[in-house]
Amino acid sequence: MKTRGLIAEEVHYTIAEGNKSLLRSVHVQIQPGELIGLIGPNGAGKSTLMKILLGFLQPTDGVVSLDSHPLVKLSAKQRAQSIAYMGQQGPGAFPFTAVEIVEMGTYPVLGTGKQPGKTERAAAMDALNYVGMGDFAQRNFLTLSGGEKQLVLFARVLVQNTPYILLDEPTANLDLGHETQLLQMSRELCKEGKGIMIAMHNLNSAAEFCDRLILLDRGELVAQGTPREVLTQKRVEQYYHTHARVGINESTGSITVTPVPQIQTQQGFKVHIIGGAGSSVTLTRLFHLQGIPMTGGVAHELDSDAKLWKALGIPYLEVPAFSEITEDVYGKAKNFVDEADLVILCSFPFGRGNVGNLELASYAALGNKLIILSTHTGTCERGFYLPHIDNLYRKIEQENPPLDLEQALEQVRNKISVKLN
Amino acid sequence: MNHPRIRSAGIVLVVGLLGAFLAAILWGAVSLPLVQTLQVLMNPGTPISNLPPELRRVYSIIWHIRLPRAVVAATAGAALALSGASIQGLFRNPLASPDVLGISAGSSLGAVIAIASGFSAIHPLGISLGAFGGSVFAALVVYSISTQPGGTHLLYLVLAGLAVSSLLSGLVSGVLIMTQEYALSQFFFWTMGGMEGASWSRVLPPLPFMGIAMVILLALSQPLNLLSLGEEQAFSLGVSPEKLKLIILITASTLTALAVAVAGPIGFVGLMIPHGIRLLTGPNHRSLLPLSALGGATFLLVADLIGRTLIAPREIKTGIITSLIGGPYFIYLILRHRKGGLV
Repeated sequence: MKTRGLIAEEVHYTIAEGNKSLLRSVHVQIQPGELIGLIGPNGAGKSTLMKILLGFLQPTDGVVSLDSHPLVKLSAKQRAQSIAYMGQQGPGAFPFTAVEIVEMGTYPVLGTGKQPGKTERAAAMDALNYVGMGDFAQRNFLTLSGGEKQLVLFARVLVQNTPYILLDEPTANLDLGHETQLLQMSRELCKEGKGIMIAMHNLNSAAEFCDRLILLDRGELVAQGTPREVLTQKRVEQYYHTHARVGINESTGSITVTPVPQIQTQQGFKVHIIGGAGSSVTLTRLFHLQGIPMTGGVAHELDSDAKLWKALGIPYLEVPAFSEITEDVYGKAKNFVDEADLVILCSFPFGRGNVGNLELASYAALGNKLIILSTHTGTCERGFYLPHIDNLYRKIEQENPPLDLEQALEQVRNKISVKLN
Repeated sequence: MNHPRIRSAGIVLVVGLLGAFLAAILWGAVSLPLVQTLQVLMNPGTPISNLPPELRRVYSIIWHIRLPRAVVAATAGAALALSGASIQGLFRNPLASPDVLGISAGSSLGAVIAIASGFSAIHPLGISLGAFGGSVFAALVVYSISTQPGGTHLLYLVLAGLAVSSLLSGLVSGVLIMTQEYALSQFFFWTMGGMEGASWSRVLPPLPFMGIAMVILLALSQPLNLLSLGEEQAFSLGVSPEKLKLIILITASTLTALAVAVAGPIGFVGLMIPHGIRLLTGPNHRSLLPLSALGGATFLLVADLIGRTLIAPREIKTGIITSLIGGPYFIYLILRHRKGGLV
């Protein structure tokens, strides 16, 4: 039976110069209707694999086949009507107009003898309009921006109208909006039954849009599968040689990969942050980047403060959502305050559920280590839903006038230099 | 050619070519009357003895002197401009020319050998054959140096072209040192390029080959367009870049070699004409190649006409005229480039 798909079987590619091996027994297949993301660090062999799937490079060993026919046996015309390719470069010397570039996609059908006419011009204009570049049709390609050039080259691929499409870093120069647009258009092409492989570096977009990911590293296929299967924290850190955090985007459900800057942490000094309702997120991130050790609490479960502290590995305390702070947790929080050199009270509303936090602040004030952040530093106002809470706050505010983020950071730095020198 | 600008450029060039051709026949050291000229041109087969006496002189001038010369100028001009445009397209560089293949130096060596060995004295086409052989030899050497099993690297081609040109120029000087003085002046005269003494026996043999080469290059205009997308993307559209390179290099260098063989080394036409046409009508090779051929033919006819009428009855060599126009034009191009404009 005929197997559908563009398939590279156990391909090796070695260049004669220095006998350097660029690909080693790589086996990949592109099925009709699927969008495959080809990922991997620079120099992994993504472009080489693309050129082998296109037939431009001949594998040193192994076979590439298109719907069960060896690719090398196809005529140039058959091949060009089956596989389209968008490379990383476009015309660099001659001032072709954008629409002339797009029209070149009609060559596999027209052949050498025929000249693109009205029908081809109309098809080229449709493709340009589809990618949102219709107004640029008569513009000199050389004067377009990097992103505009890539959209024009993508339109050329659309005009070629082939069942398989290879896109080598088509989003390299695109801003987020245009990248999303191009990936969205690729998805739509897949819905029409086309099989697309797209090499890219943005792992988040790859995870969001691709059905499958193939991860290459130094010429070897190290993982393939769904984005969730491929993008594990271990793999990302191992193959991209950087600290990264892999999580799940709560609003889209897709995998997110976030690089983590390496930070030298300050030893022998600690800050406790009293936050909740997302009020401490900005401060926590600021201190984290400065390498200042922190503890956090008491937050309510599902507060974004608690999530961030957890993600950053900061010791913290939380109580179930909407519940009051128990004696037991309050006791632990006091321990955090005792261990801390400074305690920072963020701006959030107080009610029955979290009045314990205000008491905690007042306890810290007794130890002369409290900083109150002014209300404009947070995402919410500092409201008081019980009269006696208001009074308690006024009392400690008199001794500790609220500071903004810069001032708070300044005070932390002073305290560090006093303590450590 | 659906662009109105391209169509009008085409019409202007066709009319210009016909006009220049007629002018090349009418004017010269002796000006011919228009009516008699047309009478002679309309009756090509008539034996000269059947003509009225007043037409016999016109007939001789036209059929034995001016017409072969105009045909040489037009075909050489078309050939140089067309191969220049093709090579520029192949190299994706508007400043390339067939000279990167070492054709100038090769033809000079061939010509000087033909002169020094006395071959040019024995055979009427001696210098032409020598120049053609030298060009083809140089192009072959350059091509084989820069080609490996994987393909032809265009940067190596340019470098090899420079190296081979320099080597061959050295050889030319070496041969010249050992020759007689008359040979020296004969060679020096040849290097200035010119159409004087063009005869049917010199013009006709290469014509069919030039025609075939021109047809091949014109047919490859769309693949040349695709090549500007880069080799991979051209390949993905069904063009074989290696085959295309080979065919264009062989065809364009043969065409240039033939043009040099009939008209001597005439500089700048291959560079200047495609450039000017590209500025006027854009880079699409489907229009650029035919319009360059028309433009080259017209330009060389006019240059030759200027050369032989300016200080008639003496002649200025055509190569001098084209260089006098081409040099300043090239400087203008450099200045344009320097301003950051796109060429």
